[in-house]
Amino acid sequence: MNEKIENEKKDTENEDDDSDFIIDFTTSSAINRISLKFLVVYIPIFWFSGLAVATFWYGYTISTVPWIIKLLFLPLILLGFSFLFIFTCFFFSKLLLIFINLIHLPKEGIFRTEKGDTDFEFWRLRTEIKKITLWLLRNWPLPWIDVIAFRWFGIKMDFSSHLNDAWCDAEFISFGKNVTVGQGAVIMSSMVVGNYLIIKKIRFDDYALIGGQSTIAPGTHFGEDTVLGAVSVTTLNQKLEAGWIYSGIPARKLKPNKYAEMRRDIIQKVDVDGEEKVETEHEVNIDDDKKHLVKRGNGGDNK
Amino acid sequence: MSTPNSMRVGPFCASVLVKKKYLILYIFLIWISLLPAILEIWWYWQMLWVDERPLHFYIFLPLFLFVIYVSTVFAAIFFTKILLLIISIFHKPREGTFLRDPGDKDYRYWSLRNTIKKWPTWLAHKFPFPFLDNICFKAFGVKTKLSNSLFEGWVDTEFIEFGKNVVIGQGAIIQSSVIIGNFLIIRKTVIEENVRVGAHVIIMPGTHIGKNCILNTWSSTMVGQELKEGWIYNGSPAKEFKKNRFFEDIPIEKLTKTIGDMDGLLKKYDETRVARVTKKRKSLKRKDKEENTTEEKGLK
Repeated sequence: MNEKIENEKKDTENEDDDSDFIIDFTTSSAINRISLKFLVVYIPIFWFSGLAVATFWYGYTISTVPWIIKLLFLPLILLGFSFLFIFTCFFFSKLLLIFINLIHLPKEGIFRTEKGDTDFEFWRLRTEIKKITLWLLRNWPLPWIDVIAFRWFGIKMDFSSHLNDAWCDAEFISFGKNVTVGQGAVIMSSMVVGNYLIIKKIRFDDYALIGGQSTIAPGTHFGEDTVLGAVSVTTLNQKLEAGWIYSGIPARKLKPNKYAEMRRDIIQKVDVDGEEKVETEHEVNIDDDKKHLVKRGNGGDNK
Repeated sequence: MSTPNSMRVGPFCASVLVKKKYLILYIFLIWISLLPAILEIWWYWQMLWVDERPLHFYIFLPLFLFVIYVSTVFAAIFFTKILLLIISIFHKPREGTFLRDPGDKDYRYWSLRNTIKKWPTWLAHKFPFPFLDNICFKAFGVKTKLSNSLFEGWVDTEFIEFGKNVVIGQGAIIQSSVIIGNFLIIRKTVIEENVRVGAHVIIMPGTHIGKNCILNTWSSTMVGQELKEGWIYNGSPAKEFKKNRFFEDIPIEKLTKTIGDMDGLLKKYDETRVARVTKKRKSLKRKDKEENTTEEKGLK
């Protein structure tokens, strides 16, 4: 009996302890519970956008241009058709999204992953609708264009930053200028933990740099000139200070980002005195305690 | 989630080619699975192509192409399954540790199975339609439910068992066979209900993951590791991090501590919504309002 009471006491203590509920880990944002309902969304999008291509193809077949010229321009026309297909897919999915967003506005916050929860259901629907167009555009021979798709679906970004080689959610993310995202990185503004769905906005300021294979959890805020090393993970709601290099699981401060300052100095010098010869050596931004390694490499004069 | 175009994720078949003559079977599969598609096209052409009014032909063409693709995938799965059955008569796939040498029969047949399975899995994954992968898995003997989402990572196509409601994160690797030095290890991997595998997780063959587990990103398991039910795991090799209590009914206030200013967020959304609604009303009733204001002024 005494043991039981003790166990109960321990349990109550655990319940009161909030550290169990702190989300200091990161999982994935892939959709769970795929249902066949999405077929209803996919087939009309496919059909209508296919119709647009079919009408153009019909025009191509009945035109009276000599066949040799037709054949000559066939590759170009096929490329055009594929783009037309993608663009109309894009158009119809955007139209559907607008309707869905009128019914239910996308929201940040914590929701339950149950069938009754409207926020959860609409989140699934939105991601599924976006998936098809993004997939098509990213597999197209001109993959730079996926920035347009991301912009239309509600990510704030311009052509100076790119995320072509990363998994990325298509809502609640805003990019500054010249943001670089590494290969295989995962950027997710939504995350499912147990029975709960968490959606929070991610912000990247100018010149942020994300290393390869790193994972970015919802609510992360990157300051200006912040670097996140490869194979590192941010936790929920983490704020990364401007001008620092972070790395590790979870991401911790490594050292101030002096590379960014150096880069700008060099650019300014070139702009101002472009014709003058620079006689001083370029200062390489290496830590003081490691400079001797470089000198030794040059021939060992200091020995 | 959108898959990066430079990554070839999806159902994973090892590309170890022990003998080059296996490629003949691979090409044979491509040829035979495209035959039904060609027959369908011929049939469609016969049915609907009329010179005077080819309108039907063009209207149903997109839908027909969709059907053709899906049926090609099914044909590929069907013929692959037959080939796999024939091969399993000669040599049954089994678990164990084998020598990585062309002389080892198990190693050779493991390579052959993977070479055969490559075409249907590739075909199923090269379509923006998430259900085909699951059908592939089921046909090749992976125990899974159609509602599971396994297509954002690399998942092996044999000796794996999934429960309900499993989610594999982006870029995760779920293996049932691995090559280490001179050995090939094949062991069954079991993942039970409600498991959530984080992004970039690596699961080695023989891992048993209990119900309601969560794996943190970048954690990895060892060969034959057993993960207890209802825990959150972290690190490589995966160690118990804390108890998973996120399947309980937690008061939302406790969770909101981690997400920050929740009330502020909700307020913001309410305000935007209210602003939108009031804007519409204003535009509708502007005239009345102006009249009202003039009346009020007059009264004053």
